[in-house]
Amino acid sequence: MAAQQKASSASQTPHLSPAELSYLYTSLSLPQNPIRPDGRSPTQFRPLTAEPDILPGTNGSARIGFADGTQAVVGVKAEVEKTVLSADTLDASNLSQQQGDFAAQEGRDGREGAGSAAVAGHGSWVQVSIEIPGFRDDDALPVFLSEMMRESLVGSVAGGNDSSDEMAGGLKGRLVINKRWHWRLYIDSQGEEDPFFDDDWAVAEHLYPRGTTNSTVKLSSSVPQVRPPITLLVISVGENTIFDPSREEIAVADAVLAISVARDGGDKNLKLLSIRTIDPPSRLTQPAVPNSENVNALGATAPTEDVAVLNPATGEEEVPGVWRPRRGGVKRSVIAQMVKTVLKKGGVGEEVLEGLEGVEVE
Amino acid sequence: MPLDTSTTYPLTRLRLDGRRWNELRLLQAQISTNPASSGSSYLSMGNTAIMCSVHGPAEGRRGEGSGQAGSAGAMVDVEVNIAGFASVDRKRRAGGSGGQSSRIATTLRSAFQSHLHTYLYPHSTISIHVHVLSADGSLLAAAINACTLALVDAGIPMPGLMCGCTAGMSGSASTPRDPRNEELDPLLDLSLPEEQELPSLTVGTTTAVPVGENHMDEEEGEMKVSVLNMDSRLHVTYIETMLAVGMDGCKQIRELLEGVIKSSR
Amino acid sequence: MSILNVFNSPTTFALATCVMADRRRINGPPGGTRPAIYATSLPSIKDADRARRQRQPSELRKIFLKTGLIPSASGSSYLEFEPSASLAAARANPKSLIPPSSALKLACTVHGPKPLPRSVAFSPNIVLTTHVKYAPFAARKRKGHIRDASERDLGVHLETALRGAIIAERWPKSGLDITITIIEAEDDRWWGDAPDSHDASWGMMNVLAGCINAASAAIADAHIDCLDLVSGGVAALVTDNDGGAPQLMLDTDPAEHRSIVSACVVGYMPARDEITALWLKGGTSKAALDEQDGRSGHEALVDGAVDAARGAHMVLGEAVKESMERALGQTT
Repeated sequence: MAAQQKASSASQTPHLSPAELSYLYTSLSLPQNPIRPDGRSPTQFRPLTAEPDILPGTNGSARIGFADGTQAVVGVKAEVEKTVLSADTLDASNLSQQQGDFAAQEGRDGREGAGSAAVAGHGSWVQVSIEIPGFRDDDALPVFLSEMMRESLVGSVAGGNDSSDEMAGGLKGRLVINKRWHWRLYIDSQGEEDPFFDDDWAVAEHLYPRGTTNSTVKLSSSVPQVRPPITLLVISVGENTIFDPSREEIAVADAVLAISVARDGGDKNLKLLSIRTIDPPSRLTQPAVPNSENVNALGATAPTEDVAVLNPATGEEEVPGVWRPRRGGVKRSVIAQMVKTVLKKGGVGEEVLEGLEGVEVE
Repeated sequence: MPLDTSTTYPLTRLRLDGRRWNELRLLQAQISTNPASSGSSYLSMGNTAIMCSVHGPAEGRRGEGSGQAGSAGAMVDVEVNIAGFASVDRKRRAGGSGGQSSRIATTLRSAFQSHLHTYLYPHSTISIHVHVLSADGSLLAAAINACTLALVDAGIPMPGLMCGCTAGMSGSASTPRDPRNEELDPLLDLSLPEEQELPSLTVGTTTAVPVGENHMDEEEGEMKVSVLNMDSRLHVTYIETMLAVGMDGCKQIRELLEGVIKSSR
Repeated sequence: MSILNVFNSPTTFALATCVMADRRRINGPPGGTRPAIYATSLPSIKDADRARRQRQPSELRKIFLKTGLIPSASGSSYLEFEPSASLAAARANPKSLIPPSSALKLACTVHGPKPLPRSVAFSPNIVLTTHVKYAPFAARKRKGHIRDASERDLGVHLETALRGAIIAERWPKSGLDITITIIEAEDDRWWGDAPDSHDASWGMMNVLAGCINAASAAIADAHIDCLDLVSGGVAALVTDNDGGAPQLMLDTDPAEHRSIVSACVVGYMPARDEITALWLKGGTSKAALDEQDGRSGHEALVDGAVDAARGAHMVLGEAVKESMERALGQTT
């Protein structure tokens, strides 16, 4: 079993030779129009099938699959749990409220209190777990993914306040039943993608919101216009910004960002919820040796052939066609550009949200 | 629970979900569901739903493939994953795989290791991933059926389809069986509530695919039991009945699976 | 007289112990306990007691950073943030037993570069392992001995921030272990506040910035080649008065603010003007910026965090210089 885990972790990055990496990088970093291995445009997504409500035993479920067979299944379960006033907060208003409650208890049993903690809900009531074959559930990748999703879900709260009373407090607020009881939401995701590692990011990210849509709709059947957030995976190669990267494309990326967005209340604008950098696997690849330094090819090529050129995107000297692992970070302007492409009107974020809204949820 | 099978069944002769003793649950299956793997299948028996994918035969890793084990034939590697949302109450397994899933994985591994023509692929590994999406009894049987379909989809040679089915008795069956006064009926294809309260037995059978002229007179004699799993207590006199019913179930399931395979080509 | 129901019930204890099954040690109750508080004796918690920020929006807290304190490690550092002014005032004139805010304290050790064990596959680059752990007493709520999701998450963020700076191909087939123990963590909010809709774990972002600073000092102390010293900085959009637009502040202590709308932490390399790690949370669209400021909210936030990181970089530089001088003094 241990050997198998190692094999899966090693297959995180596809085994591409330095020459292949260099070729991919060069074609993806062509100014203005990058050439992707599958011929998509930089903002084009892979065909995607999504079906909600596939499992009768869950409160909400969904299956998402890419054309290449990468797929994931998500189930959402809600359980009633007793609200414990946690010891780390001692809210004055809450305490006095409670005091009042004790006095009033004989008269009005089971009245719904409205202490501030009870109305707001708590982020830890939403629990996300992701299982990817070959990974233990406490490995870095599943933990990072699930934290990322929980964060954007729980974070989508804040703006909802003014749009409608029912969504006050967002998802967390909806989990409150009354002062003493609340729902606890479990979201489990099963990646089903053995050799395809990186696609699971995108898959799980897309799929996740579907799962929640179901649950949100179930909990609040009257507020269909409030939509859960989505997380997009964006990479930058050279000066280009590329969406929905495949495994090979991620392997040569300069930077990988996961950007979560949601609809801002009722209007059509998009709201940024979170950004996270993800460690690009290109930092761990094997470097190539230019001919001028290669003992085996000594004298076989004219020395003028490989002259180091300054790569404007990374600020490093590189010999064209010779792969060097990426080093350093991203420029601020690149990040701004990536976020702008997601957020702008008619941009990619809006397109994806509209696509997902097309999936029918009864 | 007022509605348990052992009290209502003698009166109505109908089980909890309205089936008669010898009826299977609705079995639906599909193959080639996941183009990224060599073979894949989705199978549901009632509310039990299983997704299975097969990778390989692929070159084994250096550590184990070059050893004694790999040189004779392919290694079968099974991983079973029961989703947290599969049962009624959400279950969180503490650290790694739970007992139930590893037990199913071991059974499947030994069953398919001897069943498949592994000698055709020395130094290689066939890995099978089983995802239980919804668990409502007969997990092992459903997993056997799903694996068979996925392996057929992957084109891995085997002497015949391996089919699994469960059989039980409609009571605790702790006293010797009385042939003149049959008050207990054997039950076919148990659901989760039945499995929890009644003795049950999982049978997996293989039948040679009929070849040539004699496929018309195919009889029980060609059926071989390759998996037999029981972990409940029962008087020994009932075993034979249960086994016979289970084998009959396997035969029905085999026809269903054959239909699935033929219709998808 | 009624005893308030602030205890955890026995059932929740049982639940929590199931989740965190650490059978090797005898642990205290995971939820924490509290002496009985009688309602009549309870002094009302006044909002006036709340900690307030007394620094300018762009003023950073002082950082104490010292390297080479742990002799058994190849590199080590200790980092401490200056306690806020309100904490000092509360110590001088105690009104409550509960301190109003906390100040980050953490220790970082670096072991390596060392050869990888035989069982690990060949790697052309150095293999970086990061391990962030809160001491059980670090936060107001006790942390267990097993790392929980937030601690693992911090480890991944830290790894991302550092990997971009380390020149990994200089040590093939070697490993580098970075272990951080957080001795005192930052609060997520003022202790008197109930968790509200903005109650994300803002304190974690300050902790991450501290981890990045301490780790890069310790890596430099271990003499491992880097492109630059990565420094961490935090900026946040906060609303201190109701109805006001959120203001951009650098190096925010969450205990000092009424609510934080969004926050951002970066790992930044000033020499190359590059960001190695970025973690931004919360909506940024309502930020109050100057009219002529063409930037959108998130850009301003990232720039703010970068400014904070530049400040921390100066402290880092000093600490590394000190470590270098000590190393030179030892050799001669």
